[in-house]
Formats: sequence, structure tokens, C-alpha cells
Amino acid sequence: MITPFREAAARIYNPHAAEWFAGGGQIAGYTCSFMPPEIFHAAGILPYRLRGIETETMEIGDAYYGPYVCTFPKCLLQLAGQGKYGFLSGAVISTGCDAMRRLDECWRMAGKDYPDALPEFFHYFDVPHKTEPHALAWFKDEIRRLITAVSNHYGVLITDENLKSAISCYNRGRELLLEMESLRAAEDVVISGTDAFTVAVAGTVMPRQRFNEHLEALVHELRAAAPEPANGRKRILVTGSINDDTDLVGLIEDAGAVVVADNICFGIRSAADMVRTDGDPVDALAGGYLSNSVCPRMFGAYDQRFANLREKAARTGAEGVILQNIRFCDMHGSENSLIEKDFEAMGIPCLKLEREYGPLTETGRMKMRIEAFLEQLS
Amino acid sequence: MRPEIYQYNYDWMLWRAIQAAGKLADGSEKETRKMMSYIPYFRKTAEVFINMGKPGISYLKRIEQYLDNIVTAHEKGKKIVMTTFCFSPSIFYAMDIVPVTLEVMTVLGSALWKRGTTDYMDYCVELGFTETSCSSQRGCLGAYLAGLGEEIDLIVTNTAGVCDTNANAFAFAQKYLDKPFYSLNYPSGLTDNPANQYHRDDFRELIRFLESHTGTTLDPDRLRAVLDETARQEAIVAEIEELQRLVPNPLPVTYNFVIYGGRFFFAGMPEYTELLTDMAEVVRDNAQNGRSGITSGIEKKRAFFFYIDHYTLNLSLWDWLDRHGISHIGSILSRSFKDDQPYMKGMEDAAYSIDTTDLDTMIDSIAMINSRMPMVRSIRGPYDRPNMWKEESLALARIYKADCLIYNGTPGCRNTWSNVKLLAGDLEKAGYPTHIMYGDAFDERVESWESTAARLEEFFTIRGLL
Repeated sequence: MITPFREAAARIYNPHAAEWFAGGGQIAGYTCSFMPPEIFHAAGILPYRLRGIETETMEIGDAYYGPYVCTFPKCLLQLAGQGKYGFLSGAVISTGCDAMRRLDECWRMAGKDYPDALPEFFHYFDVPHKTEPHALAWFKDEIRRLITAVSNHYGVLITDENLKSAISCYNRGRELLLEMESLRAAEDVVISGTDAFTVAVAGTVMPRQRFNEHLEALVHELRAAAPEPANGRKRILVTGSINDDTDLVGLIEDAGAVVVADNICFGIRSAADMVRTDGDPVDALAGGYLSNSVCPRMFGAYDQRFANLREKAARTGAEGVILQNIRFCDMHGSENSLIEKDFEAMGIPCLKLEREYGPLTETGRMKMRIEAFLEQLS
Repeated sequence: MRPEIYQYNYDWMLWRAIQAAGKLADGSEKETRKMMSYIPYFRKTAEVFINMGKPGISYLKRIEQYLDNIVTAHEKGKKIVMTTFCFSPSIFYAMDIVPVTLEVMTVLGSALWKRGTTDYMDYCVELGFTETSCSSQRGCLGAYLAGLGEEIDLIVTNTAGVCDTNANAFAFAQKYLDKPFYSLNYPSGLTDNPANQYHRDDFRELIRFLESHTGTTLDPDRLRAVLDETARQEAIVAEIEELQRLVPNPLPVTYNFVIYGGRFFFAGMPEYTELLTDMAEVVRDNAQNGRSGITSGIEKKRAFFFYIDHYTLNLSLWDWLDRHGISHIGSILSRSFKDDQPYMKGMEDAAYSIDTTDLDTMIDSIAMINSRMPMVRSIRGPYDRPNMWKEESLALARIYKADCLIYNGTPGCRNTWSNVKLLAGDLEKAGYPTHIMYGDAFDERVESWESTAARLEEFFTIRGLL
């Protein structure tokens, strides 16, 4: 039951996307969890969260970006320049952070130098950094602007009914993810953290309907499965910077832990943010995606984020927390220190792990630190 | 942090040093020269200001006043707000709140002490604030996080949507110091109606925040006085900056620095008007006599800094420019973008105006001023959009007849390091030799000034500029 998710999460051009593409379907990439993929779903376009795996070199990323920049957007640019995103007909760049929003310019400029690197539909999507009513009004305008742009470019009509149907479909996926999360919280291991994370990542790069079907079957199977005893493996919560690399979670589990929860924007961090299905769907999307300040880009909302983490740690019985951040990600890097201080005050040990994004070039170093941390928990 | 650093409050140290520096020129020339031997590390910085004559001394006394306001705020019953350089302090002055502007306080420490503010920067890192964050905030922030400054009452920034590292520094401080926090937020557009409406709504929220946390009510008459003074100041600046178009440029190399520094310290306050008046006299006199502001009197080239300047020990950048006969014709920090500034021709959309008709128009005006502050104005959206970094840089380079363009920032500037190569390429294509400096404006450990200077020499030589 896990196979379809592994297939989806293992490669950029995964079999589900390839099948969609081969069937004449359009695929549009996006960069941030604040961008509602329901809009593309409603237009009959496959929304695809842009990923950086499979990056082997960085000459394109480094040519446009400067040196003091997180490696994640550089990897996206590298892959785009190499033509690995040639299956995209569109891309939406959001103001997740400064480095990510500048992917807009870097990709456009790379598009001049690398033929076909730039999708035909290329859109800049602004996201407020706060949740007050005037910010919500701005966000609604941005959502409407995106709907208009998609409609005009692709020649499709995105109706309220389409949007509501897309919202329902995505909500169903969220419910299933939450159900998987509740199973994950059990004392014995029902699903490994690596597999759970794989499912969440897969959900961002495969058709939602199909994802829901597979996840429904998986959850059904997990409910009936005999749990595997934890056998003394330490229960770990992983949080911090953007990550779509299942190997990172695998590395932690291979060191002798079980990752019982994660709070990463490619994971299920936002799964609890159900979108209303009544009323104006644009209002509902704006409220659903902006209401929870899940990312440190929402400045000044640390207490809210830490409360979520604390609840997650308590619910899952996490014995330790791994706080990872990609180098130059100051928002997560700084916030990780605050989280560390607060968790350790509660008696929950933490490991701060600064790393480079990419094909786990630092595996040895990280493995050693993780193992030492787990020993400390024993 | 080294134990001895804990012995003195950062703000008090700056206050006393600047106070003493402001008195240096009160004695005879011989006395002043003798005094210099006792301040070997601060000497060159002090000389920069003293050699400027009346405006320089006046500037030191204004800075002293700014620091005096901070260290005496609480005994005068005033609240202290921690804020950022790209936030116009005029609303604080209108509400009798004392601003502590992290970046200008870092510049002071960087310029004054041999080790700059590196101990405080490192202290931030000790507490978990990332070492890759911008040094402009970290330098002074470390002192406040260590309790080596007057206690902060509230924190206000305005860079969410413009500069993550800046906003993040204040968010970290908010949590660490457990203080009330408000961050103005900016859409990527500058001139469209939704953006303008957002600026206004957000600023009104800010005023409600300030009123609720300080117990002060915004007084329209006081706000009007501040805005009237701001208008007077910008009129003087307009005259000075218009004269800067002359060849040779009649402004001494340090004047841009003093203009924007004064604005960050005292926008809307008479202190700044007096300073500008003194400067305008010098500039007018130079212009009437066809005299360059360069000490040698010979202007060889004109450089526009399309980001910020370099502030480490001794303000060496300005000395280097002056010695090489290079006019500094401004940076992203220099201009205010008021509607009647001559350089706004062709960029009218991006301008702000001051309307003191009633409270509503005044709040709109001050919201517009804030949304046009350095960086907030031009690096909030894609660099090649109208009114953004590229258009602004090219317009100012053309108007002020730049021979070359120079980028200098900090490694912590994630925003500009993510697109400066693209912009530099475009500027080169537009015909401007463009140099990217890789040092840190506030932290000489990243690249020593000697290395930075060598690279500047190389650039000017290889590109045939000197």
C-alpha cells in the first residue's frame, strides 16, 4: 500500500505525474504551502509542489543566485535549468522567504539562457506576513488574481462549484493525513516516520483524488495491521526548515529512532488547517491558508507555533526533538534556538542540526550527531 | 561574551564617546590635535566629522542628543521602542516615544571601536540567533539581549515582506525580551491601489498598537508639526541633492551619509533641519565656486552605491573615496522619494506627498513615507518590475551622472544576494561598470577593509576608471 507513495516521492518526474502528462494533462509547479493548490485542481491542472531532489551539481543555481543563499531554491533553479521540469506548463512563485521569492527573477533570467527552462505560465503570488483582517483582504485579492491568471492563460473557467469541489477533495486528504497521524501517535509503531513523511510528500506531487484513494486504503490497512513494538527506539519529533527528502527522516530512523511526528512544510504541518466548504470559496481558501501562522515567515507568532509543537510532542509522546535547518535559513535557524530553549525547559532534549539541502552530502556528519543525540536520550 | 564587555552599557558608552567627540573642536587646534593621540582607534572617525567643519560637529552633537534621549528616556517617563533604520522615526517623535534604531546604533559601534560590535554580534549567536543573519541588527541587538542598554518597552519594525533577516531579528528580540511587537508588512507592489490601501490600514493598526502600549494618544497638532518639519527638511535635501548633479559634485563625500543618517536619527525634528541648513550652506558655496566636495578639489569619477555603504572602523570607505577623487553620489539609503524632489521626474508614481489637512491625510502621508523608506521601497518586489531596484538604480545613476555602480551589503542580506548578480548584469548591459563587494558593511572579520580596498582598487583600475 505504501508503494504508490514511494513511487511518487522518489523522483521528480514520478509515474503519477508522468501518467497525467502522457494523458494530455497540464501540470503547474508551486513553491510554498501558503499557495492553495485547490485553484489548479479546480482548473483541471495537476498542482505539483516543486522539489529539489535529484540535484547533482549546482552550476546553474550558483550562476544566478549569490553565495549566501539557502541551497533549496538553488536546487530548484538547477533542475529547471537542466530541463528536469520540462513537464511543467506553469509555475507559481510565492513569497515564502526572500530566497524563494527571488526564484521568480532567477528562473526568468535562466529562462533566457536555457531554452525551455521557463514554463509558459509564470506567476508571482504574494502572501501577507500577518493574519489581521486587512491582510486577509489582501490575500483574497491575490487568490482572485491567481484564479484570473490561470483562467486566462489556460482558457478554463474556475467556478465556485469547481473550487468547492477541490476544497472538499483536499480536505478529504487532510482528514486522512490526520488519521494517519493519530495512528502514528500510538505506543507501538504502526507506520515508520519515513513512510509517513513519504506519504505527505507524495500528496504534493500526485493527483489528489488518486492520493486520497491510496491513502484511504493505506489507513485502512494500518488500522488492521499488527503494530511493531518500538523495542526501545526513541520517539522523535522532527521540525524546522523546508525538506522534501525522505532520506533525512530515514537517516534518523536508521540511527535507532522512530520519527513519531514531523512539523515540516512538505510534511503534514498544515494538514490541520481544514478549509471551510460553505460560503465564498475564495474567502474560505484565504482563511484556511492564512489563519495559522505555521511558518516563521509569519513574524511575531512564535508562541502560537510553539503551542502547536508542544501539543504535537505531548500527543505523540516525543522523547526528543530534532530541529533541522538549511544553512542561511535564518528564520528557522533562529526559531529553532527558541524552540530548543523552551523544549529543554520542559525536559525534552533537542538536537539542532544545521545542514545543506541536497543529496545528503553531509550524511556521515549528521548520522554521527544523531547517534550521539539518541545515546544521550538513553 | 567576554566578562569585561559586561562592565559597561552599550548605549552609555556610545553616548559618552560621542559626547566627548562633539567637544573635541571646542578647544584650540593644538588641544584638539593633542586629544587625538588619546583616541587612536576613534581618531580617524572623529577627524572625518571635525574636518567637515560646522556640519560635522553639529552632526556629532545631534547624535549625542539622540543617545541622551535614550539613556534618559525612562527617567523622563518616556517609552523606548526598538526599531529599524527603514522605519521613519517621525511617528515616534509625534507620540513622544524614544526610538532605538538597531542599525544606526550598530554603525556607531562599528565606526567607534577597534573591534567594532563583534562581541555583541557573537553574543547573539551564543543565544541562538543565527550567525548568517544580518550583522546590521546583530551588532547592537547583542547588547540589548545581554541587558546592556536601556530596557526596551516595545518593538516595531516594518520589513516583513521586504527583508526576512531584518524582520526576523526583531521577531527574535520580541520573543527573547518578551516585549510587545508590531511589524508593518508590505505587498510586493508599491503603487497599485490595493498596496496603497494596505499601507494605510496597516499603519492605522500600528498607531492603535502604539497608543495601547504607551498610553499615549496621537496628537494631531504634534503630528502636523512633525510632518511640516519633515517637509522643510526634504526641501533642503532636495536643494542639496539637486546640486549634487553638478560636475564636479559640490558635496563632500560624507554628506550623503550624514543626510540619511540624520534622517534615520531625527526625521521630523528641528535638530535635523538645523544640520541640513548648515550642510546646504557649504554645498551652495562650493557650487557657486565650481568647487568639488572632494578634499583635493579634483573629482575624477562619480560612484553610485546601489545598495548600502561600508561602515567598519574609521569610516574607511569615505576616506578611500576622497583620497581617490571619487564622488559618492548616493546609495539606496540616500533618497526620500518625496513628490517634489527633482529626481522624481519620471518616477512620480513611486513618490509620496505630505498632506496635513486633517488627521486622516496626515496618517496617510506618514504611511506613504514609511512605505518609501530605503529598501522598503525598492526591494520588496521583483527587481525588474516598475519602481523597483533596477529602475531606481538606473534612474539615479543617470540623473547623478554615475561613472560606475557599486554593490555593498552584508552576507546576511538574503534578499539582495538572491538577485544582485542579475541586477549587476543588467547594469553592465546599460553601460555602467558594476562592482560587487563581498565584505560585510558592519563586520570586518568577513573581509578586512584592506582586502575590500584592494578589490576596489582593482575594479577601478581594470575597468579603466582611474
